[in-house]
Amino acid sequence: MLKNYFLIACSVYVRRKLFTAINLMCIVLTLTVLLVLTAALQTLFYPTGVEGKSVRFLQVERITQTNKESSQSNGLGYKVIEQYLRKMKTVEAVAALSGINEVSVFQEERLVEVQMRHTDAAYWQILDFKVLAGRVYNADDFEKGRFVAVISAATAKKLFNVEPSVGKKINVMGQVFEVIGVVADEFHINAFGGLWAPITTFPNSSYRNEFTGYFSALLLAKNVGDIALIKDEIAQISKQINADEPGQWQSTHIWADGKLDFVARTLMNNQTVTDSGAGKLVAIIVAFMLLFMVVPALNLINLNSGRIQERASEIGVRKAFGASNAQLVAQFVMENILLCLVGGSVGLLLAKGVLVWLGSVGIVPHLQEDLNGQVLAYGLVITVVFGLISGVIPAWRMAQLDPVLALKGGAT
Amino acid sequence: MINLRAVHLLKPIWRRKFKNSLLSLEILLAFFVVFALALLAARYHQLYYLPIGFEYQHMWSVELQTSASSGSKIDAVAYDNFKRNVGAMPEVEGLGFVLYSPYRWSTWTTTYHLPDGAKHFSANQFEMDDDAAKALNMGYLEGRGFSEADEGAPHTAILVNKIFATKMFGRQSPIGKIVQDNKPGSPDARSYKVVGLVEEFRNRGEFMMPVPYLIKRFSPLSNKHRLGAMVVKVKPNTSRLFEAKLTQQLKLIRSDWGYRVAPLVELRKSMFATDTIPLIILSVIAAFLMVMVGFGLFGVLWQNTTQRIPEIGLRRAVGATTADIYKQIILEQLLLCSMAIAVGLLLLVQIPITGVFGESVNWTVFGIATVVSIFMIFSLSVICSLYPAWRASRLSPTEALRYE
Repeated sequence: MLKNYFLIACSVYVRRKLFTAINLMCIVLTLTVLLVLTAALQTLFYPTGVEGKSVRFLQVERITQTNKESSQSNGLGYKVIEQYLRKMKTVEAVAALSGINEVSVFQEERLVEVQMRHTDAAYWQILDFKVLAGRVYNADDFEKGRFVAVISAATAKKLFNVEPSVGKKINVMGQVFEVIGVVADEFHINAFGGLWAPITTFPNSSYRNEFTGYFSALLLAKNVGDIALIKDEIAQISKQINADEPGQWQSTHIWADGKLDFVARTLMNNQTVTDSGAGKLVAIIVAFMLLFMVVPALNLINLNSGRIQERASEIGVRKAFGASNAQLVAQFVMENILLCLVGGSVGLLLAKGVLVWLGSVGIVPHLQEDLNGQVLAYGLVITVVFGLISGVIPAWRMAQLDPVLALKGGAT
Repeated sequence: MINLRAVHLLKPIWRRKFKNSLLSLEILLAFFVVFALALLAARYHQLYYLPIGFEYQHMWSVELQTSASSGSKIDAVAYDNFKRNVGAMPEVEGLGFVLYSPYRWSTWTTTYHLPDGAKHFSANQFEMDDDAAKALNMGYLEGRGFSEADEGAPHTAILVNKIFATKMFGRQSPIGKIVQDNKPGSPDARSYKVVGLVEEFRNRGEFMMPVPYLIKRFSPLSNKHRLGAMVVKVKPNTSRLFEAKLTQQLKLIRSDWGYRVAPLVELRKSMFATDTIPLIILSVIAAFLMVMVGFGLFGVLWQNTTQRIPEIGLRRAVGATTADIYKQIILEQLLLCSMAIAVGLLLLVQIPITGVFGESVNWTVFGIATVVSIFMIFSLSVICSLYPAWRASRLSPTEALRYE
């Protein structure tokens, strides 16, 4: 039966080449865009590579303090990380990292702008950087406050071109660092940067006494099951900080979030409630994708409905031999989904091409998105949904045809 | 005759109402997106040519990265040190301190009240010292800039922009007027006296919406907080290498601070890049939709002309020329578009009437967007109907009539 449907579908599509081509182009274009979008979201929410442990770590980025009338939301101060987060019982490791700071590096009369981060040694342990040369700094370097720096491949090229960078001295805003390692360029939220140095090389140590500042923390769980425990402990810590902090705030909120929650909380600015807004974010993304499918779906509906007449005799014969409306609807929807799957496969190839192009053109530096199994699975779902949306209405209209009229060829 | 022709056009449209309603819906959606794009572009264009209120050529910004928290004070001597030492550099023509660098994404808003409580609204505010206004080359419509004479005055001196002045004081001259930053009578209300009126001040640059703006005079002696950046006016033709020299000089003054030094032209460039992201995203979506609608129109018109071969044959047989057929098909298409656009405009015109987006969607912008988007949709329709129309008109009447 399915084989018959398949054969009919193929012959119908071959017979009307122009319409098949237009249909296919609509499908391919739509699915390419949606697949690229899916790949981007997949990279954001379930990164591989440098932030590949992201299912096991939680990000703490902001501390929000509220009173009846006012509230303030800041990055974490180092004191929060050192005095509270590092003492947590439920975590395996805690990394501290600063936000990105644009700094100037003076190199032989030249001035190079570099994105700098200050981190601790655990940062290198939680994030899996690819070390291209030398080494990254360890706990000993960090504690002794050695002036050592790790640079990215792009920075190394900018500063030293082809010469080996390890062992070179660089002058960063008046501080001289020794380059001890080069790591591969990365794109992810916590990993992108051009130059890393220990937090302990700050010109003075006042940052250690601050509850608010410009740090964030990564908490690595021993296993995925511990994540709920960590969140509970963070809630306790929020209360403790509220009691200890001299600012007399009524409440203090700190959240440890996975990737999706983190992005949702930042976008929705849900800094004072437990719900990160992830559900809403996913709903918005799905709604946007559906909306995006509306116009091409309208095209397909229109074109397919226009072919009722052309297939009137076929429908009439099938009905005369006892095919039910449901059977006919199923057949036409299947045909449409089949076409969508063909379009989807072409779209997949194009999406791959677009991703390679985006990666090479450098609009977003060091972007490394790819199509993995999960993206393929989402792509399949999107294709089938699109096939259903665009196929059901014309199929239903076709199936409604009166068999007598249809056989006479007089459908309008 | 004219009536008859219109009926002839409308009838075939009505006969295919299912298909045409879907097509109109599609055109409507595309129209909305193209309209939004045109609206945004027109607004950006308009904003670009409004004054920003300060000079960015030959200006550098130095952001101070101190270890102390932002609430704490910098010694008045420190400000003085910077001014003397940096001011002594041969490239420097003038400098002053500001709350944060222009062309950065910072805003600070507070509600300001009239002392009698008659009016209050939220205004953007900024702070600068006496020299900054001079370095930034701000012009005054009325009154004067800050000066030493304002030190120790009972009310802090402020500059306001035209929007603020009109909104707060109506048509009266704002010079000498008093405003407060809290409800009248509340204990921590501070009062400010307007000393000058400026045309505009938009610290985020060309694409910032004009808003009520108020600039407070900062006094290194009496203010309890600190300013975060320095603006330095340099001689024209100062090279980019001045940055290294300036940083070195700054390090000599305070070695434990960090400095982010950049010419304002560079900050302006990166601000432009950020500000135009929504425009780029919308363009991509609009282009996608236009292509989609193009496919749809082309396909449906092709289908229509194929199905209408007998009808067209008949028309040819009774004397219609090739041009007539051409005209009929293209006119039908334009009529359909006009209907979709009319519905769209009926909905969109509510935006400037109700003023939901305020000044950003004014009538000028709305008018430009309407013309541009109608033009785009019409050209798309015509382009998509050209080939099917040509194909239909080429049929010889005998062939067309035999088709069935």
